[in-house]
Amino acid sequence: MNFLLLAANQQTPFSYLPVAIQLLVGIGFVVLTIGASQFLGPKRSTADKLINFESGIPSVGNARQPMAIKYFLVAILFVLFDVEVIFFYPYAVNFKELGQEGFWAVIMFVAFFLSGFIYIVKKGALDWED
Amino acid sequence: MKAIIAATVLGVILMFAGLFVKEKKSVASLAVFLLFVLLGVNIWDLVTTAPNETLSFFNNMLRVDRYALWFNTLMTGCTLLYALLVSKEIQRVGSHVAEYFALICFILCGVYMLSTYNNVLILFIGIEILSIPQYILAGSDKRNLKSSEASLKYFLMGAFSTGILLMGITLLYGATGTFNIIQYTFLQSDMLSPMALAGILFLMVAFAFKVSAAPMHMWTPDVYDGAPTPFTAFMATIVKASAFVAFMRLFSVSFGAISSDWMMVLAIITAATLFVGNITAVFQQSVKRMLAYSSIAQAGFMLFAVLAVNATAWQGMMIYAVAYSVATIGMFAVLMKMKDYTYDGFNGLAKKDPMLAAFTTVFLLSLAGIPLTGGFMAKYFVLLAAVEQGKMMWLVIFALFMAAVSAYYYFRVIMAMYFKQGNAELNTEVSATDRFLLAITVLLVIVLGAAPNLILNI
Amino acid sequence: MGIYEISFWFLTVMALSCALGVILSRNPVNSVLFLIATFFAISGHYILLNAQFLAIVNIIVYAGAIMVLFLFVIMLMNLNADTEPQKNRLVQIAGAISGGTLLLVILAALRTSTITSLDQTSTDIGLIKNLGKTLFTQFVLPFEISSVLFLSAMIGAVVIGKKEQTV
Repeated sequence: MNFLLLAANQQTPFSYLPVAIQLLVGIGFVVLTIGASQFLGPKRSTADKLINFESGIPSVGNARQPMAIKYFLVAILFVLFDVEVIFFYPYAVNFKELGQEGFWAVIMFVAFFLSGFIYIVKKGALDWED
Repeated sequence: MKAIIAATVLGVILMFAGLFVKEKKSVASLAVFLLFVLLGVNIWDLVTTAPNETLSFFNNMLRVDRYALWFNTLMTGCTLLYALLVSKEIQRVGSHVAEYFALICFILCGVYMLSTYNNVLILFIGIEILSIPQYILAGSDKRNLKSSEASLKYFLMGAFSTGILLMGITLLYGATGTFNIIQYTFLQSDMLSPMALAGILFLMVAFAFKVSAAPMHMWTPDVYDGAPTPFTAFMATIVKASAFVAFMRLFSVSFGAISSDWMMVLAIITAATLFVGNITAVFQQSVKRMLAYSSIAQAGFMLFAVLAVNATAWQGMMIYAVAYSVATIGMFAVLMKMKDYTYDGFNGLAKKDPMLAAFTTVFLLSLAGIPLTGGFMAKYFVLLAAVEQGKMMWLVIFALFMAAVSAYYYFRVIMAMYFKQGNAELNTEVSATDRFLLAITVLLVIVLGAAPNLILNI
Repeated sequence: MGIYEISFWFLTVMALSCALGVILSRNPVNSVLFLIATFFAISGHYILLNAQFLAIVNIIVYAGAIMVLFLFVIMLMNLNADTEPQKNRLVQIAGAISGGTLLLVILAALRTSTITSLDQTSTDIGLIKNLGKTLFTQFVLPFEISSVLFLSAMIGAVVIGKKEQTV
């Protein structure tokens, strides 16, 4: 039970053991229930049952339809700001210790991002109708 | 250091200029003015640094010496010349003129990082800042399918080579435990681990891709041919030259002491680059594509500066970067005036516009390396560096032979202009300002050839 | 064999087999799903190395955001039919040989080098606090400069993705 003692210490990989166990339980439950219903349930497959369920309406066409680039534009801008936010985690943890210097470093970084954001909004990249 | 900040801030200013200034022409004028400011900042950086002084910034992330500052100043000057010459053509590419100039400013920020980096992380970010705006510029002409193809090809291949660069950095870090390029020097031949060697090999491959050396040159003709011509001119000159300086900085500062370990590989790459670039250029029908292959061939000569790890090599790289950039920018500026990019499009240009034909001749002579032009001095210095080093004589002789081959395709354009009958059609009227700027470019080419010491003794 | 080794081998097998699944599956959507599984396995490795911040970032940014982009691209490309062109046999052989040579080089490099084995309880450089301290002091310049990279990416998204107003 050595590793359970280690798990109590937050600084080691073993502190993730509960997470891993929970993950295993979660996946195991899903696999078990789906698998069990597959094996235990009666099987009466007819042609109607095998088509994809689409709210009761007969399915039309294919799901792979080319879609507007607008979605992609929004998605890629989301990724950029997502990465920006990631940098705040390590800063927040060290907020006090980094002091003035760290503060200005982050302010400068955010300022660049803010100017980028203003640029995007002004340019109308987030406008849906055009 | 000031220049990096200035380039970033000016890039942001230009980005916003596109929102508030609607007139394309005034955006271009603003961009040219801001590039003047950037040149001023570079000169300020240069004059406030003593000749033998080496400054280091941010925990040794950047190490700024006189050579780097002088290189930055010259490259900014070349960019300014470029912007003056092609600003009209840039306005014709698409509607986002301010963004194109902003991206060029960001590329310059990458150029400054690549000439002063002292840490491979900065090298990595610098290469990325250099590359990503280029992918965008290559695809900026959205109505042209070839431009989109060029952009996608360049992006995929470039991302792959960046991955290889990172892998090399990782292996070197594993072998040495440091990112600092000065501390890599402790690698001695007898204690060199295979891991470090593999890292050096990966870095060499990644750099060879970025400078389009064979056999990693496959992307070059398609990208240079497909991208809008004004941006091809920028990619083929300033960007390539600064990638070379980064290449040289790493391989002579860090791996110079163990040059015998990697020299043979790089020598083979050099020979392949010279061969592929020159021989394939002979068979091209389009002048733009020929210039793409010629840029591969010129990269072969610049590789000599990396190969010969000595003081002359640094000088040779400087003069080659400037002479090649100026002549190529001039040549592309002329090409953009032409309606037809094939050799036949140049037929009879001498009769129609003798002045333009004369300018073109000077640029081509410089690219071919004929004496009294900057190109000759450039080739002379890089080959001299290789001769001084003395291990690669066979390669020098091969290079001389290939230079003779290169004369064929450069002279083909001159032949078309002077001796062929035809009616060379111009795309636009060549204005008096254009002529004046081209004349200055020609003058620069000749001055570089007559007095190379002007840029070497600094 | 302790819990550490068991999880290491489990994650390794998972990462490798999912990575193989990425390149071997015919349906591009399946490839993306395999890639997400690979990222999760690699995140598990990061946790074993006590690099907790990296593990979380890897899941949030790569498995979360970037994979969504990948799916978007696959949707955009409309890869409906099996349109993969038949590859040249010669190219396949050349690719196999060069890839195999590379593998050989890396194997040779790693075989002879000595890598000090990691003590899983003692390294704490990957913890978010230490990482933040290093990032904002020693590596503050790359951090700041990366904003230029993001700005150019934003410009690129607008220049390439936005409809031209009046041409």
